[in-house]
Amino acid sequence: MAGAASTFPTVARVERPAGATAEPWLLRATLIGIVFVFFVLFLFLPLLVVFKEAFAKGLPVFLAAFQDDAARSAIKLTLLAAGIAVPLNTIFGIAAAWALTRFDFPGRPILITLIDLPLWISPVVGGLIYVLVFGAQGWFGPWFIDHGIRIIFAVPGIALATIFVTFPFVARGLIPLMQAQGTKEEEAALSLGANGWQIFWRVTLPKIKWGLLYGIILCNARAMGEFGAVTVVSGGVRGRTNTIPLHIQTLYEEYQFAAAFAVASLLCVLALLTLVIKTYAEWRAEQQLAEAARAPESLSTLNSQPSTSR
Amino acid sequence: MSIEVREITKKFSRYPALDNVSLKIETGELIALLGPSGSGKTTLLRIIAGLEFPEDNKSRVLFEGTDVTQLTAYKRHAGFVFQHYALFSHMSVFENVAFGLRVQKRHLRPSKDAIRTRVLELLDAVQLSGFEKRLPSQLSGGQRQRVAFARALAIEPQVLLLDEPFGALDTKVRKELRRWLREFQDRIKLTTLFVTHDQDEAFEVSDRVVLIDKGKVQQIGTPDEVRKNPANRFVAEFLDLPWSDPAVPAIA
Repeated sequence: MAGAASTFPTVARVERPAGATAEPWLLRATLIGIVFVFFVLFLFLPLLVVFKEAFAKGLPVFLAAFQDDAARSAIKLTLLAAGIAVPLNTIFGIAAAWALTRFDFPGRPILITLIDLPLWISPVVGGLIYVLVFGAQGWFGPWFIDHGIRIIFAVPGIALATIFVTFPFVARGLIPLMQAQGTKEEEAALSLGANGWQIFWRVTLPKIKWGLLYGIILCNARAMGEFGAVTVVSGGVRGRTNTIPLHIQTLYEEYQFAAAFAVASLLCVLALLTLVIKTYAEWRAEQQLAEAARAPESLSTLNSQPSTSR
Repeated sequence: MSIEVREITKKFSRYPALDNVSLKIETGELIALLGPSGSGKTTLLRIIAGLEFPEDNKSRVLFEGTDVTQLTAYKRHAGFVFQHYALFSHMSVFENVAFGLRVQKRHLRPSKDAIRTRVLELLDAVQLSGFEKRLPSQLSGGQRQRVAFARALAIEPQVLLLDEPFGALDTKVRKELRRWLREFQDRIKLTTLFVTHDQDEAFEVSDRVVLIDKGKVQQIGTPDEVRKNPANRFVAEFLDLPWSDPAVPAIA
């Protein structure tokens, strides 16, 4: 730490001149120190503990946690729920971003705000909404039950709750990108004789692909990790309606710590993988955004180049 | 191909962008739509291209006598060059120019080799041979503009529509491209409309000038006619010509 404290201020001094905004090095070092302590204490150590506990009773116990039927069923259910929610929310997200950035219509600002609703509302409330609507005592629940379709305490309910919670991610990733890019290239494609479908696949999609991947990855991570909303609609029937997070809780409550952490480590690996892909996609999306921002004003800089018409 | 617009009216949230505009352009003419910014000249061009639509029932756009008012841009077959080029930023120069050929219906689409030949011909015509693998971001403003021209010409349009085609270029490149456009037009006699707010550009290049202000056509004529007989106060002031209102007798 001593080394860090002495190098940081020097680096900062080189990067920017000391001015009104330059804090004394002691303050800066303290702030940076606090950030590091928090980071280690609240992010890095817990992650380490998960893996340490997962292997606490050795590799065989770790592997056994995944041999278990209940664990397999939970993994399958999680994959199924994410497999339903992610594609649907991808389609919805593209449609929403398209409508909100390309058309001007009454109620547009309200819709942009409402897209975020699942982020601000407690997931438990999200789950309860579906119980209220589709539960045995709910609005449509009795009708579905009469027709032999179970929604609450079954896969459809879990999928619905997951869709609700992961609803904003794709649209959120695309809206700023599509807003910055505007519609000029689409208009050009239109004037060249491309139909709507061709414009989407050949012009729009390639321009938004990294933003889209970013949204899908976040959507997937949240879909697989969701606990609150799913817990309400699933009923937590072991081996039947437990997803991975619910299965972890069941194991933990049964004092099977090593197994609980073993399964938890699976989610951690997923999170780390998401982080890597997300960082890459984010970086590429920012490049696309920067290109979009640069395009209209790039002319003045280009004009300073030597004239190239020969 | 001749273009005719009849009684075009277009409103943007109440204030009229175009107010009862009628205009006829003969086959092979090179016409400048000249006016200050906000005069409605770009809106008129976009309506002719099918990128925007007039909202009242009287407005008509006719290509060679055929009513195309209800057709969207992709069915009008008009070459459009955008002010900021609007090149496809993720495609190479070659792919940009080939785009209009590749999206044609299967039975009309040229073969791969035919597309290649045509694109290379066009790039040669706009003096960009050897640039086909570059991305638009690797080109200068003038080069991008010429790619935009080649792209619009690839679909063999019957009419060429240019929105401030040289507006974003520096003076030297601008003059070169102006001359190039005039020569090019003399050679292939393609009906061409271009929007500009620069009177020198309009007068130097075009066969006829259409002066537009406040959504209305103020005067149509050859550069000489307009300069000798400005029709009204706006035209005179816009062109820096002396103006005496014939309705008000000069005080001796």
